[in-house]
Amino acid sequence: MSDEISQESEVTRRSFLKTTGAVAAAAGLAMTGLAATVRQAEAACGEMPKKWDETYDVIIVGTGFAGLSAAIEARHAGAEVLVIEKMRTHGGNSIINGGEMAVAGNKWQKEAGIQDSPELFMKDLLKAGSSLNHPELARTIAEQSGEALDWCQNFVGARFVKLVFHGGHSVKRSVQTDNASGSGLVNPLFTKAKSMGVKFQFTTKMERLITSKEGRVVGLEIRKGYKFPDDRSGKASFVKARKAVVLASGGFSQNVELRQIQDPRIDSRFDSTNHPGATGEATLAACQAGAMDVQMDWIQMGPWTSPDEKGFGHVPQFCERLVGYGPMIDPKSGRRFIQETGNRKVRADAMMALGYPTIIFGDAVNVKRQVLPHTLEKGMANGAIKKFDTIEELAATYGIPLAALKEEIAKWNSYVEKKKDPDFNCKIFPETTPTVAAPFYACRLWPRVHHCMGGLVIDKNAQVKGFNLKPLKGLYAAGEVTGGVHGAVRLGTCAMLDCVVFGRIAGKNAAKEKNWG
Amino acid sequence: MYTTFIPARSAALCTVAALALLVALPAFAAPKRLTAAKPDNCSACHGKDRVLPDGHPKTAKMTLAACLECHSKDSPASLSGKLPLSHRHQLAGVSCVKCHGTTKKQTPVEAAVCEACHEPAKLAEKTAGVKPQNPHTSPHYGTALDCNVCHHQHAKGENFCMQCHTFNFKLP
Ligand SMILES: Cc1cc2nc3c(=O)[nH]c(=O)nc-3n(C[C@H](O)[C@H](O)[C@H](O)COP(=O)(O)OP(=O)(O)OC[C@H]3O[C@@H](n4cnc5c(N)ncnc54)[C@H](O)[C@@H]3O)c2cc1C
Repeated sequence: MSDEISQESEVTRRSFLKTTGAVAAAAGLAMTGLAATVRQAEAACGEMPKKWDETYDVIIVGTGFAGLSAAIEARHAGAEVLVIEKMRTHGGNSIINGGEMAVAGNKWQKEAGIQDSPELFMKDLLKAGSSLNHPELARTIAEQSGEALDWCQNFVGARFVKLVFHGGHSVKRSVQTDNASGSGLVNPLFTKAKSMGVKFQFTTKMERLITSKEGRVVGLEIRKGYKFPDDRSGKASFVKARKAVVLASGGFSQNVELRQIQDPRIDSRFDSTNHPGATGEATLAACQAGAMDVQMDWIQMGPWTSPDEKGFGHVPQFCERLVGYGPMIDPKSGRRFIQETGNRKVRADAMMALGYPTIIFGDAVNVKRQVLPHTLEKGMANGAIKKFDTIEELAATYGIPLAALKEEIAKWNSYVEKKKDPDFNCKIFPETTPTVAAPFYACRLWPRVHHCMGGLVIDKNAQVKGFNLKPLKGLYAAGEVTGGVHGAVRLGTCAMLDCVVFGRIAGKNAAKEKNWG
Repeated sequence: MYTTFIPARSAALCTVAALALLVALPAFAAPKRLTAAKPDNCSACHGKDRVLPDGHPKTAKMTLAACLECHSKDSPASLSGKLPLSHRHQLAGVSCVKCHGTTKKQTPVEAAVCEACHEPAKLAEKTAGVKPQNPHTSPHYGTALDCNVCHHQHAKGENFCMQCHTFNFKLP
């Protein structure tokens, strides 16, 4: 926009506001496209709305694990609670998640004779996070994991049924919901919250936080009837939060522009495993209201997704079960290129450096033993996993130089025999057998944006910190919208825990705030 | 059950008339809905827009069953996805009032209204064989997903699953 034009529109805007009044204009003409200009004018002068359309004690943004946990606790403490959600359905990333939550010292561990403790958990968290974790926050989730699980089961009514292992944890420590999905926790949370009298508004987007002259968060400007992703849709409205606002709006994995600002490598060649609404504008709105952000450039790529299927897909379950049982190949050279059992970051970085999809494959024996029939069946049905009778066929399909590939397989097989990989130090398991038996199952791998470690700065009370290094009054945050808990790399299954623990803390503390007016 | 998604158009219809001037309406996209319109009286809602092709039999006394004689489910002339569900309802004898009640201002209906006739568990049973996945139950929402997420009555339906999956459901 040139200076002349912006000055001109400034004049128009001002005279417009004079005649109509900002609030009436924003509410009545929201759909005409003038709304954006009106909003800018308002934000610029930072004024409170002349009239609040609705009032609640605590307003929560987002219906994932974090938002729902916060809503239940705030309501439990007696607050009148509104939860807004910009999408048409509840659950965000939480409802598509794998339903696995890290809990130190859980009963399944005890039954299996596994020694664990919050201290050991804390060590694992810091190791994965390159010690960039804010220690107080990491310690909070490690210490409160047991209580969080009890609450999910006994108060909320979710069912966890088994113990699973995740890379990076020093022991088997993660518990899985009965339906192996985050919905196994989100839906009971949602039902519970509704039964307690928490109010929900869907297709309602938070546009900005409203702060008083003293800088206290006092409410939100929202857009009702918002139709994702159309920013012109819906109608502006103002809700007052007597006590506090809790941001539980998740990460920004689906926002290409924002993630490229943080990590320029992650352009539109990379899809995301996240739900489409993970676009992070609420994080930015918080920053505009004075909240501080941290580690926004630590964005986790999932190295186990396939370009041949959408979303999270079935390949992750194929790939992760197969690492240590079959080789991963650079199709251009026909050679292995990375430690297959290495962590998410190491593997994704290597693939991104190559710049094209790579291949993992296994033979009949290893695949049958490791990969669930369901995964294989679904992955083959959608074409992402392919079956080959010979290595020649496999090489031809993916354009791999055959001689090099055969040589590499022979080398891999010799390492399997010796249970030692001098090239990349891949973990080779006792039951791994050489890759020899037809048919062979293979798929292409290309990383997807999976998790945002960074976000808003919070303290151990889930209170958001401002750029003045002081708590930003009236604002709490929990879950993927925050940063610091996980440091550089989130350890698998710790997001769910983070959301429940800090969601609960945020909800309790928000309800405890004194009414501001 | 949470409130039904409000299709942008019904919201638009509720706002000031001036708005209509600002929104360019594609043909048939947003005809003004008249509660009294009979099945054969296309122009009551569509005005001068020609809705039916030349030589189409008179629809005056047609029922949905009669439409389906030519527009059978799997034929190229299938109306699945082309005819708004509100028309199918009307042709099957479900009037506007049956869903919306007699209020002056038409408001979007709650999923519970749909469910009074289309019981979620029964629907899921009916579509159990749909490949690659039953559209009426999912690991995420079970059978609790609001109908309107996919089936908009007065606008083209949308396949919500396609956000993350490649389930090419044909949507009525
Ligand atoms: C496919 C997948 C599998 C995963 N598996 C696991 C696992 O097994 N274990 C584990 O620990 N972690 C897992 N994760 C990570 C974990 O699920 C997420 O980090 C977690 O669900 C985030 O929860 P949340 O409550 O912070 O945000 P979300 O669940 O994403 O919820 C945020 C909500 O806020 C809404 N929102 C955003 N902005 C606005 C706005 N401006 N106005 C109104 N609403 C807004 C969004 O629409 C969304 O519904 C997985 C992630 C994915 C994508």
